[in-house]
Formats: sequence, C-alpha cells, structure tokens
Amino acid sequence: MDLEQLRKTAAEIVDRDDVKYLIGWKQGSFGYRVAPSFVEDAAGAAELIFSPLCTANLATYLTLVEKLPVPRGQEADDRKVALMVKGCDSRAVVQLLVEKGIHRDQVIVVGCPCPGMVDPALLAENYPETEEPAELKWNGDGFLLIRGGEEIKVARDELLAEKCRLCRYPNPVISDISLGEAVEPWEPVEDSGVIEIEGKDIDGRSDYWEEQFAKCVRCYSCRNVCPLCYCQDCILDRLNPTWVNRAVNFSENTAFHIARAFHLAGRCIECGECERVCPANIPLGRLNRKLAREVRDKYGFEPGVDPEAEPFQASFKPDDPEDFIL
Amino acid sequence: MSAMLLNKDKWPEFVGKLAGKKLWAPQADGDAVHFAPVADGEVPTLDFRNTRVPPKQAVFPQTETMYRFQLGTEEMELPELNEETILLGVRPCDARAMTIVEKLFRWDIDDPYYLKRRELVTLVGLACNEPGLNCFCPSVGGGPASTEGLDLLMVDLGDSYLLEAVTAKGEALIAETKEILDEAGADSAKEKDRIISEAENKIIRTVDTEGVPAGLPGLWEDPLWQRVSAACLGCGTCTYLCPTCHCFDIQDETEGFEARRCRMWDSCMFEEYTLHTSGHNPRPARRERTRNRINHKYSYYVDKFDVIACVGCGRCSNLCPVNIDIIEILRQVKEAL
Repeated sequence: MDLEQLRKTAAEIVDRDDVKYLIGWKQGSFGYRVAPSFVEDAAGAAELIFSPLCTANLATYLTLVEKLPVPRGQEADDRKVALMVKGCDSRAVVQLLVEKGIHRDQVIVVGCPCPGMVDPALLAENYPETEEPAELKWNGDGFLLIRGGEEIKVARDELLAEKCRLCRYPNPVISDISLGEAVEPWEPVEDSGVIEIEGKDIDGRSDYWEEQFAKCVRCYSCRNVCPLCYCQDCILDRLNPTWVNRAVNFSENTAFHIARAFHLAGRCIECGECERVCPANIPLGRLNRKLAREVRDKYGFEPGVDPEAEPFQASFKPDDPEDFIL
Repeated sequence: MSAMLLNKDKWPEFVGKLAGKKLWAPQADGDAVHFAPVADGEVPTLDFRNTRVPPKQAVFPQTETMYRFQLGTEEMELPELNEETILLGVRPCDARAMTIVEKLFRWDIDDPYYLKRRELVTLVGLACNEPGLNCFCPSVGGGPASTEGLDLLMVDLGDSYLLEAVTAKGEALIAETKEILDEAGADSAKEKDRIISEAENKIIRTVDTEGVPAGLPGLWEDPLWQRVSAACLGCGTCTYLCPTCHCFDIQDETEGFEARRCRMWDSCMFEEYTLHTSGHNPRPARRERTRNRINHKYSYYVDKFDVIACVGCGRCSNLCPVNIDIIEILRQVKEAL
C-alpha cells in the first residue's frame, strides 16, 4: 500500500467536521511494536502506517470507548469514527452491525487489503527485537525487515501468522473508502491446531486443556481485546450471582474460557487477537476456531460477511440438521 | 559475607542437596517462562531472561485461602502455612520488588499471610548478565546484581556460579552445600565486577524520575493521560505481571455448606475495581485508571513508603498488547512537568 495515499486520505477524513477521529496504526515505542493511533489532525495522519506488523484488530475500539455522562449544558459528541480495517477486522465490523452493536452511520470503514501479517512472537524469536524501532514491509512474496540500517529478506512462510495462513478473507468485506488494490486470496492451509486436538480422545483433550487453562492468570486481555466481547455487563464481572468465581484455578478458569468460547460461537471472526495478547500463551484461537468450524459445517453459517444477515444464535431454520440432538 | 564457587558440572548435585525443601525454578513454555515447582529428580536449567509472571506469586499467591468455614457455624479453620520453599533463579528486580511490597504488608497491620510466606521462602537470585530490552532497573534504584531482598546471589561466571550469601538463610544454604563448593578467590570477584559492569552497559532504556513523585499530582488534568491511555484495553496484563502490584480483593466462595474466605489479585485497570455499589465510579474511564497506575507507583507509594513502587523489570512494556510503554509514559510525564 502507498503510505502517502494512506496518510493523505486519513488527513482528509479527520479534517471533516463530522469525524471525531480515525483509528489506525503507528510505529510503536521500540522494536517491532506497532501502537493503535487515534488520529485527530494532519500531524497524526502523517504518522500512520500499514505494514505486516499491524496485527491488532482495531474494531475493538468501536465498543471499548467509555460513554461517560455528559456534563450539564454540553452535548454528547456523536461524530463519526473512522476505522482502518484489514480483511479479518472488517468482518468484526460487519458482525457488530449485524448485532446492532454499532450503527452504520457512526463508522467510516477504511479498508486495507491485507497480504498477511507476521507472527510477532515468531519474528522476535528469529530476529531478536532491538530497542530502535524496526520496519517491516511486504516484499514480493515475502517480507523485508529493515533494522539498524540492515535489510533482511525473509520468506513469507517463515513468519506468516497462523491466522493469516488460515485466512479466507484478506480483502475487507465492507469498506467506505478502499486503500490500494485488492489482494489475490491464497489457499488457506489445513487448521493443524484444531485437527491435532480433534485427533485426541476425550481424556487427551481434557488433559490438553487442563494444562492450558491452568496457566491462565485471568487478566482478561483476551476478552478485552476481542471486538465481539463487548457486553456492558459481562458474566465474569458479576458478583450477584457469581457465575464464575474470582478464584484462579483450573475449574474456574475453564468455566471462564468455555463460557467465552460459547458466547462467541457463530460470532467469532477468527482475527486471532485473543491468542496474540495472551501473556500465558494459551492457544485460544484453537478453541474459537473449532466452534467457528462447527457452526460452518453444521449450519453453513459464516459470521461477519453479510451486514444484512440474522445473528446466528438468534436465528432458526426449520431444516437445521440438529443431528447432535438425540 | 562468604563467597563460594559452584562449578556448573556440580549444578545437578547442588539442586539435589536442596531437594529436602520445595523447589521452584523458571521453566520454559514456548516463548514464555514461568516459575513452577521442580519435579522430584528434575534439574532446572537457568537459561532464561526473566519469567513472564513474576515470582511474587510465591509469597502473594493469586488466590490465597484466608480461612475455611462451614455455613451456619462459627467455626473457622486457618490454613497451615509451613512449607519451606526455595526459589531458584530469582532476578534481582523481582527480589527487590518483594522488599518494596513488604512495606505495605507491614504498614498498618502486619499481614500474617504475606509475612509468613516471606519467612518461609528462600530467594536464590541470579544476576543478569544479559538484561532485557526494556530493563531499566538502574533508573529506579536497582541493578543487575542488586542483592536487596535476596538471601543468596548467584553470578554466572561462565563455567561456574559465584555464590554470595546475603542473609543468614543464604549462609545456611551455603553451609548445607559446602562440600561441593570451592572458595572463591579475588579473581572471581574481579570477574563478577567485569560481568556486572558490562551488563549495566547493556541496559539501554532509562527513566528520569527526578521531580516525578512530587510533580505527578500537579499533572492531574494534563492531556497526556488521555494520550497515553487512548489505546488501553483495560486488561490486567500490566498489573498482574508487575512484581510490585499488590492489590487484592476479598471474596467468600461456597460449595454446598463448605465455604472459604479468600483473597485474590485485583487490578486497578479493571472497571469494577473502583465501582461503587451506587453505580458511581470515581475512576470512570481508562484515562483515570492509567493515571492512577502511574501515580500509585511513582508518587503515592513514594509519599507513603519513600520508595518508587516500580523496579524497572520492563514486563508491562514488553507484554502490553497495545504498546502502552511505561518508559514512554514517564518520558511524557517528565516533559510535562
């Protein structure tokens, strides 16, 4: 993508009177880090980037923003928010529209066709992070890492994030303004992570998840980063009744993760953010992708592609197979 | 203070001699490292930079049972805390954090749980030859070979570890393992100094705290807080993985008639942390919560206990999913002063 075009377009958008800010990505404070950026003026627009490091799904900020009481005599700021989205991120926007979590006229979707993101952990493992901010670009079939004056060509397969290997929607499924040319979708690989677990017997699966969930510290970064976990009153925060105890142990942690996975069934758009942010390295993507696959295979439903669709968990078809009901 | 040398060939033997007590050591899990109990007969390696979750969990468990009781009766049962634990490979920042947090747990009342656990644990430190990218311990009063809070400091000299006892517990540990240790000579001390000064030079990122504790409250309404917190997700990563964060909540949990009162980590970055029953929240947004996190560490704690409640381990900067970087926040604070 042409960065000049991106910055120019962004500057034009934030210059509009009906726009509050544009949410995009900018260079982070060190190493490979990229930070979400809330752009309000041309100076902010000039910092925007779009690179294989822009993994974060910014759609979460559409619902994360606090709606504080407006002081007497002042009016609520209901100007539009512009949002930069990749293919996967755009599906979150569509799903939010389906669920009426946001209104279409509140958002300006700036679509960024995405040739694939890198796995930040893998990148740091193979090419240790330095203090000085580094740059990563798409380069033909691979990536170009520019670090400390040095240019390193890296093969796409070496660093491509798992969610991108599995990606079926590299181009935004919804956008008001599109930046750059659409990319040619690639053949997704088999979901070896999910297949591995499906291959285990019940005890094996139980052991696997017990080991994973035991590591959870309940920081809720997976829930908070998730663009589709936006309940104002989450069952995890409830004290009366306490659905999930605050005690951190395998049993409560499991209740938390299973509850979250079920609430996302037919809603998860597989952006992989939950797994990326987990400080305990729990492969949450496998859990959510398994349920997404069940919904796809059993009901032919794919969330986040059609803004006019009915929400999966609120829809009923007389010819649903229901072959799991005895 | 006695200094001894432990040849690395004898490391398994050294670990074997400690096996009478419960041993914890850093263990790898993918690209993360966690402190975990060492299985019988297993020999932990000390090849790690630092653990994701700090060893504070050994003295301040994420969930601590305060007492058990039966619904409908007045009897309660206190947990028995008597298991002596040795933590192997504690980084100096994390040990120093325990001395900082201890000030709070000794403040208005002596907290029996924290202090008992602190008494039962022996901290065997490992100096940092290769500090991490976001380490800034010297800026906040620590250092790669700081001994504050440790019972014993080990320094990796290549083929051997230099062992320096810091407390009586450390002396005892050396006495227990004496037969496989050698006296350390002057050249070992010199080698240690060389390694540590090299390590200090490898610490790139710094924080200038001068005037920050006194100046922070004056920045209450500064636009910087909105700027640095805009991207915050409101998760507990920065606080749960912080070695000095010590906030907790107390809850009763019941299962049938069996009940327990327990306390568990809480995070000032969570919305419900300051939510009143009336529905009012004095820290209504992530701006106020982020401001509190920085003020607590760099101003309130200094006011009360005369020490900055940050040891410069860099975990919050390393692991924040959206690059909220405490070093960058403090740079902006300094600029705004």
